[in-house]
Amino acid sequence: MSTGEQTLTASAVTKVRPRKAATRRQKRERLVAAGFLAPFMLLLLIFQYVPLLVMARNSFYDYSLLNPAAEKFVGLRNFADMIEYEDAATSFGITFLFALGVVLFVIPVAFALALFLNSKLPARGLVRTMIMLPVVTSSVVVATMWSFLLDPSNGLINGALDAVGLARQPFLTSTGQALAALVAMTLWQQVGFGAILFLAGLQGVPAELSEAARIDGATRRQVLWNITIPLLSRTTLFVVVIMTVFSLQAFAPAFLMTQGGPQESTNLIVYHIYNTAFIMQQAGYASALSVVLLLVVLAISMIQMALLRSRWNY
Amino acid sequence: MKKKNLRRTAFTAAVIILIITCFLAPYAWVVSSSLKNQFTVFGDVSPLSWRAFFPVGATIENYVTLFQRTNILIALLNTAIVAVAQVALTLLLCSMAAYALTRIKFPGASVVFLLILLTFLLPIEAMMVPLYQVVSGLGLSNTLLGIIIPWIASPFGLFLLKQAFEELPVELEDAARIDGAGHVRIFFSIVLPNVKVPMVTLGLITFLFCWNSFLWPLVIVQDPARQVIQVAVAQQGSLTQLPNWGETFAGATVATLPLILLFLVLQKYFTQGMATSGIKG
Amino acid sequence: MKVYHIVFAGLLGATALSATAVQAQDKPACTGESVTLRILRTPGNFPYPKPMEAWQKDNPCVQFEINEVPFAQLADTISVQAASSNPPDVIVYDGPNTQSYAASGILLPITKYLPKGWDDDVLPATKAEHSYNGEVYSPGIEQTTVAMYYNKKLVEAAGIKPPQTLAEAWTWPQALEAFKKCQQGPAGAATVWGLGPTRFGNGQPGLVYQDLPYQRSAGDPKADPSSSAFKTYWALSPDSKSVEGYLDTPEAVEALKFYQSLFNSEGVAPKAGIPNAFFDGKACFYIDTPAAGNALIKDPKIEWGTTPIPYFKTPVVHTGSTTFGATARSKHPEIAAKFVVDMSWGEYAYMNVSQRGNLPTLKSLFPRFAVYNQYPMKVFVDQLQSWGQPRPPGPKFAQYDKIVSEALRGVAFGGDPASLMADAEKKVQRVLDR
Repeated sequence: MSTGEQTLTASAVTKVRPRKAATRRQKRERLVAAGFLAPFMLLLLIFQYVPLLVMARNSFYDYSLLNPAAEKFVGLRNFADMIEYEDAATSFGITFLFALGVVLFVIPVAFALALFLNSKLPARGLVRTMIMLPVVTSSVVVATMWSFLLDPSNGLINGALDAVGLARQPFLTSTGQALAALVAMTLWQQVGFGAILFLAGLQGVPAELSEAARIDGATRRQVLWNITIPLLSRTTLFVVVIMTVFSLQAFAPAFLMTQGGPQESTNLIVYHIYNTAFIMQQAGYASALSVVLLLVVLAISMIQMALLRSRWNY
Repeated sequence: MKKKNLRRTAFTAAVIILIITCFLAPYAWVVSSSLKNQFTVFGDVSPLSWRAFFPVGATIENYVTLFQRTNILIALLNTAIVAVAQVALTLLLCSMAAYALTRIKFPGASVVFLLILLTFLLPIEAMMVPLYQVVSGLGLSNTLLGIIIPWIASPFGLFLLKQAFEELPVELEDAARIDGAGHVRIFFSIVLPNVKVPMVTLGLITFLFCWNSFLWPLVIVQDPARQVIQVAVAQQGSLTQLPNWGETFAGATVATLPLILLFLVLQKYFTQGMATSGIKG
Repeated sequence: MKVYHIVFAGLLGATALSATAVQAQDKPACTGESVTLRILRTPGNFPYPKPMEAWQKDNPCVQFEINEVPFAQLADTISVQAASSNPPDVIVYDGPNTQSYAASGILLPITKYLPKGWDDDVLPATKAEHSYNGEVYSPGIEQTTVAMYYNKKLVEAAGIKPPQTLAEAWTWPQALEAFKKCQQGPAGAATVWGLGPTRFGNGQPGLVYQDLPYQRSAGDPKADPSSSAFKTYWALSPDSKSVEGYLDTPEAVEALKFYQSLFNSEGVAPKAGIPNAFFDGKACFYIDTPAAGNALIKDPKIEWGTTPIPYFKTPVVHTGSTTFGATARSKHPEIAAKFVVDMSWGEYAYMNVSQRGNLPTLKSLFPRFAVYNQYPMKVFVDQLQSWGQPRPPGPKFAQYDKIVSEALRGVAFGGDPASLMADAEKKVQRVLDR
């Protein structure tokens, strides 16, 4: 009670104090804040927002990087071309398919690995280190490794298949198998990361819940299915979004292993943008493609944020 | 009862061995192949023999030619310089910005935060063409500075440190403030020393991202003497020449070994950082 | 701590730069102002030090600064540096790009710097490739084409006698018989391949340079211009503006079906590269430029011979090699142009070409290359002069190259030739129309 009165008196005193001093202190605070923030915000504006605006503007022009001064204003033609010609739809389709494949396989495998890492089984530390190795390896090295693993004549995988009597596979030289091979490679590279995320989620599940269920007579499987998994829905959603966004941004596999082929079966959208800008010399069209990709990623992220907010917490 | 245990143990062991094989085998193959000469690399793959994973009669000739004939050494040097600079600058800028957002009251803080939040969602790969135009417009094309400068103001770094600062109790600083210390003093002598773990985590993740970066350096740097390691490895065996497998493997090993060693030593920070923040650079 | 690093980085950058600068030893003193010519080229390519130093004796005020990038990065590097405010003065680049660089204003026209008698001495294919809108943009310095090498031991053991002159050249079906007879091991997984993989790019089939002639040779250059035989041969309209009806023709599809069988049903050629296959005795036949022959002459690892490239109806081989020119935005255009023209003429040309190992572009130089006057290397000269055609020239060649190579690769991997070529036509036409 008395403290409240004191606070009231204190604020009354503050109000009575001359405005000049408060403003000066405020001004100084703002200056300091500006000083601390300025380098960061300046760089952010120059290297994130300015390119964004440049890209939006360029998507209405037709120009080549060889001779950017010779640009032509074409209005919405780049976007119309995206509908008229099939390359954009094919590329986005391939990329979504790729993302779908990655997510579908990573989620269960990563979850299983996380369960293993969360248990008391042996060799956990070793397994955790092993599955994280590909995560810290660059996409270039992973792509190089795998293009040799998958080589039809001299690759390790075909050598192994041969040794057990199975037929050699064309892998990257076949339109049917190329994308699947890239999905497998991405799965190998990313599952460790997914497992770590799931592990963190698992460790956040209160043990009392599953213990109580076990006492009530539930089997391990029922506990898993009815308690653990629902409580991990937030983490799962998180992993899904991370893997999707990562897959939508994949570039090195297409660039290093397949150049988008064979027959565009692996023409991931970022590679398509790179190809269009730097090799086909159609930077305006590439900008339009980039704008659409940006909107797609934004949409996915917004959906994530909305979903996350509506999930129940424990 | 015992039989069930035995079966279960055997199954678990089999699964563990399978996992370890799947993840370790490619590395073993690459490293051991880098220690062989042209002929034995192929010979041990078909028909497949254990020798594929173990370099019998190891030779370092691939590494010798790699360092002599290609720009790998200077690429390693460039990458080291770039990575250290990027880590230092990122830590500095992000911590300063996070401090301002959490410790200083000023108008427009929420607008600023929103601006930063939005850039989180921008996929960098989609913006390389305009980013390239902006950076070369600033005269930074083909420079080491040009490689790092777009990434120093990292929204991810900001969020990580903001979270860390928010968890730091304010009382420590209040005492100093009453004594008359200004923001700068408080920042450097009180706040920073108390967020060592998040800073190290951010530093490691930034280092990882920088060391492994490929697309941006590919676009912005053309001179092989200024290129970074991942691009150098990717461009071996050009000059209308087929890749020399042994050399390419040696290059891949060189490109990834430092990071793997770093990871093995500092595993805890890596996994912790990735788990809590959940976003890889 | 950051300042330290920036300084350190700067020092290292400077050291790296200076390591690539060539300091010439000029004996005669320079009487005018000193000029540095910046040259962009691939490693191991012309202009070579000897002719450059000799040229400097006559031009003592000129220094050189050389910047080398791998071939795979050359095109990207040129597009970035040529459009910048500080471009190189001389660029080495892949010949078929001349028209596109000329059209984008990257190259300087050098017609007025060419010496007298150039028009008569230069090979017509070279002049055609490097001219645009009536101006010459590169003098050309070397030419090359591919022929089919064969491993004498393997081939003779299989009882095959490949033709050694153009008149007796094989047709592709005849060549296929030879491939099959000589191959060892199962089709598609041979221990010794009938036709070895290319060494260009990543070793996968499909490059326009090497594989477009399959379908071009099924056409007829002298047929009526509206016929599909004519269009099959030329693979691009004479005004470089249209490709519709030039790639997806009945003759081309026939030829492509054969091409596809090499990698699939007949299994005589691998779909992925194998380094050094021919030199290691893992291939009976192998297509490559004179560079391979010259390497084998210097270091005879195997006994070898050459035979002309097979054909279906009209023999054809692609010409065109790397070349160089002066950039339009160079700060010293006159000197750069003079350097370029001098390096490609007379004695300097001989020095450059002989070091590289390909063929000259000047008719007067051919007699000086003794190795090309007799079998086996004579096959290259004869092919160049009788069968040689540049790759379909035009300002959009780079895009044509990429799109059509992709389509050819798709065919080699088993795709349907007609639909792939139709698709390629559509894509190329879209680029040509812009």
